[in-house]
Amino acid sequence: MGLGFVVGFIGLLILFHAAYSTIQYRGLLKITEEEFSGPPLNVVIEVTLGLVLCMWAALTVPGKFLSIHPDSEENRIVSLPANLDFMIFNHRYKVFPVELDVKLKH
Amino acid sequence: MAVHSDSASSGKKSSNGLNELLTFNAENMQSNMKIIYYSRTFLSIIGGVVAGILGFTGLKGFVFYLLLMALTSLGLVAKAGFSTHTYFDSWNRVLLDGFLGGLMSFVLFWTFAYDIVHIF
Repeated sequence: MGLGFVVGFIGLLILFHAAYSTIQYRGLLKITEEEFSGPPLNVVIEVTLGLVLCMWAALTVPGKFLSIHPDSEENRIVSLPANLDFMIFNHRYKVFPVELDVKLKH
Repeated sequence: MAVHSDSASSGKKSSNGLNELLTFNAENMQSNMKIIYYSRTFLSIIGGVVAGILGFTGLKGFVFYLLLMALTSLGLVAKAGFSTHTYFDSWNRVLLDGFLGGLMSFVLFWTFAYDIVHIF
């Protein structure tokens, strides 16, 4: 996640640099009294690069997706707590269909 | 007292058909939705700044926003490894949820960046 932050920060810096160079470009256009028809090519490239970096950061920084299946590998509860008196096994889950391929893993 | 042995209605959420998800881990589901929300919000803001820098006005900006959200959906599906049924209970959640939620942030930062870069 630290890498994601760094990548996002670099993307933001690139965007700010692109904004600054666009401001300078507009100043130049005002001096030569031309119309603003579009940003210069290097600004477009910089902005695209910054957008790609920020998109990568936005997809990796918030965290991983967690599986929602109750019987997936990472959702297993494999250890019985020390206090067995409060664990009950005749709850409502018994109406679910029986799956005969559940394996016991350490 | 009549006893219903209908297992499809006793899960938290159920869908009939090929994908019989009788119940799911709601806490993980919520965490996944939060991740999508954060990603989309951040990218709406960044997209607004980009649209302002590039000088988009009017309809071009909104088209850019739609493109950006479509790219975000693609990125989120890729992040889920193209098997969204493992992490979400329907396609709509990852593709359409939060699509318009970031529009206000996008317009705010779009006008902000446009003013700073092009007017002052």
